[in-house]
Amino acid sequence: MLLAACGSDSKSTTPAASGSGSSSAATSGLKIGLAYDIGGRGDKSFNDAAAAGLDAAKSKYNLAAADVKELEAAQGEAEADKEARLTQLADNGYTTIIAVGFAYSNAVKAVVPKYPSIKFAIIDDNAVQSPNLADLTFAEEQGSFLVGAIAALKSTKHHVGFIGGVNVALIQKFQAGFDAGAKAADPQVKIDDKYLTTPPDFGGFNDATKGETAANGIYDGGADVIFAAAGGSGSGVFKAAKAKGAKAIGVDSDQYQSAAADVKSVIISSMIKRVDVAVGSFIDSVKAGTFKAGNTIFDLKSGGVDFSTSGGQIDDIKAKIDTFKKQIIDGTITVPTKP
Amino acid sequence: MTTSTVTETVTPAPRRFSRTSPSLLLVVALGAFLVLSAVRTLTGGYDLTSSGTVAAGLSAAVPIGLAGLGGLWAERSGVVNIGLEGMMILGTWGCGFLGYNHGAWAGLVFGTLLGAAGGLIHAIATVTFGVDHIISGVAINIIAPGLALYLTKVTFAHYEGGGQKQSPPINDAKAITLPFSHWLHTIEDKHWFAVSDLAGLIGGVATRLSLVTLLAVVVLVVSGWILWRTAFGLRLRSCGEAPYAAESLGVNVYKYKYIAVVVSGAMAGLGGSALAISAHQFRDGQTGGRGFIGLAALIFGNWRPGSLAAGAGLFGYTDAIQLRSSAAVHALLLLMAIALALIALWQWRTGQRAIAVVALVIAVLSVLWFADTKKVPDELVGTTPYVVTILVLALASQRLRMPKADGKVYRRGEGH
Repeated sequence: MLLAACGSDSKSTTPAASGSGSSSAATSGLKIGLAYDIGGRGDKSFNDAAAAGLDAAKSKYNLAAADVKELEAAQGEAEADKEARLTQLADNGYTTIIAVGFAYSNAVKAVVPKYPSIKFAIIDDNAVQSPNLADLTFAEEQGSFLVGAIAALKSTKHHVGFIGGVNVALIQKFQAGFDAGAKAADPQVKIDDKYLTTPPDFGGFNDATKGETAANGIYDGGADVIFAAAGGSGSGVFKAAKAKGAKAIGVDSDQYQSAAADVKSVIISSMIKRVDVAVGSFIDSVKAGTFKAGNTIFDLKSGGVDFSTSGGQIDDIKAKIDTFKKQIIDGTITVPTKP
Repeated sequence: MTTSTVTETVTPAPRRFSRTSPSLLLVVALGAFLVLSAVRTLTGGYDLTSSGTVAAGLSAAVPIGLAGLGGLWAERSGVVNIGLEGMMILGTWGCGFLGYNHGAWAGLVFGTLLGAAGGLIHAIATVTFGVDHIISGVAINIIAPGLALYLTKVTFAHYEGGGQKQSPPINDAKAITLPFSHWLHTIEDKHWFAVSDLAGLIGGVATRLSLVTLLAVVVLVVSGWILWRTAFGLRLRSCGEAPYAAESLGVNVYKYKYIAVVVSGAMAGLGGSALAISAHQFRDGQTGGRGFIGLAALIFGNWRPGSLAAGAGLFGYTDAIQLRSSAAVHALLLLMAIALALIALWQWRTGQRAIAVVALVIAVLSVLWFADTKKVPDELVGTTPYVVTILVLALASQRLRMPKADGKVYRRGEGH
């Protein structure tokens, strides 16, 4: 009852809200609303990448503080809270709204059709199609394929591991690519896959002790390189690698740059996912009037995903990895998206 | 009045529970160890007794056990403390605040103090103002994470290596490795029946044992000694059982409740600090409900330090197993079946026929599941610690008896 009332209420206020939005848009150009996933700005990972894209757009278009609104999800919140967050941004005159993370899928489905004049984008999800919604997804499996090949080539024991934060379809894409890449580089490689938690427990993205325990288990089982696709839990994997004298691969950003000094030496590469590029190009398209609805995939070809070489530990095999990269880009290798 | 005296004469059952002799415990422990070795040898689930599992289980059990111990102090004095989770969060933040540049021990002390401050708030609300214990606890659980996040934004966000959600890295507390541990690992890798398992168990404790873990064990033993072996402890517990009777004998109930609840918060803060140290930093949301799990360990542990430590240990051990190896989780099915069968036998002999039947049925189902499959589905692996701990503790515990005046508001001079 209460929800229905809220819904109709927001519908009736839409024209006024978007009207005021467009009038202020005439002066400053853009009014951007950003709804973060759990962790928000400052997670040193996925959300921070989105924030970096926003910050770049802010300085590029010289936006005032009032033109940008950032809201963030709370741990264990209800679906209705996510809807309310997007509705709040739309009602407050923000005409370019970005939902960061697949968790917003249902909320976007409910809110987007109510505001046809507002341009929305959702990151990491393409389940919802709407004329005013851009679905920005990444070919994580392609980048993961490359770090899978790196892991297999750098493993002296022909044994590598994968640690996913939470067992969801998105992270399974990382696993599928990693497994395929490792096998392509070394057909005899043994792969241990592990997810830290299963939904609805999303704590696996934020629990370094769990990451450390799982990594120790995989290293003790004989692996010597682990790909940690586990957000904030990855720091535990790096600690374990350091203690065991093994190697690890980071995710989302170049974690060699952001990791604590004492574990830098174990991070041989990172699977980079340019969420900042996705956010930036969406804002650019709205600004330039070239907004494109539907699914845009940021892949190896467009530079949306890649692997990092900081630290210089994979210089000896970089040529091989670049060959794989070329083959994926020209279509010789098709990377699976499901393990 | 008469009904209360009647119930008092009918309650010797839990006292029998506490009268387990040391030699019996030794026999039980030896039996459990042999069963464990047998299952490990039979199934090849090496992680059941590997040193890595023991070490990880021990460090996972420490924050939970300390939270449970915090609950023990408060509830034995008659104050329900569901604010443990919040006090734990204060502890993790405090540990991050002093830990990142003054070392783990300074962080630990400050985290403990912040936890105690949380306990003090709870004490003021519940003891002085007579607020409902649950409401005060919930309030602390809501305020603490918000406060920690706010403090993080005004402090750590400006430090190098910190962020708006996390502290800079905390250096490790000193860990001790006994000289013969290398030798133990060699034996462990041979996978001999019993011998390798023993080497794994000892090796897990003897290798890189954090001094924080050692401290937690000491705190547990000392708490048990204070609460059950000293006049102070007797008075404190009397406040949780019959505060007006204690008052009539000249005990200052308010004072004891205050001490108990502040110590309770300190324990939770210590648990939070231990967690932050083992995670090497403070992170928003890192406690992940461990305070509540500690509270559950306290309740299923019948408000006794030994049983609550066993519950926390069981949870930590099974959590370590499921994180380390899915194969060992499959082996754990068989182990759990044997444990439940033994519990069934014991409950049958003590006359708890219904519980015995339930335990036996679950044991049979587990064996069938074990025999019929090669591995436990990944979706269920994560539930292992919760399922195993609840089944074993719920079916093994006799009658649970909480302190009689637990959760009741006490007002001086109002007993009739």
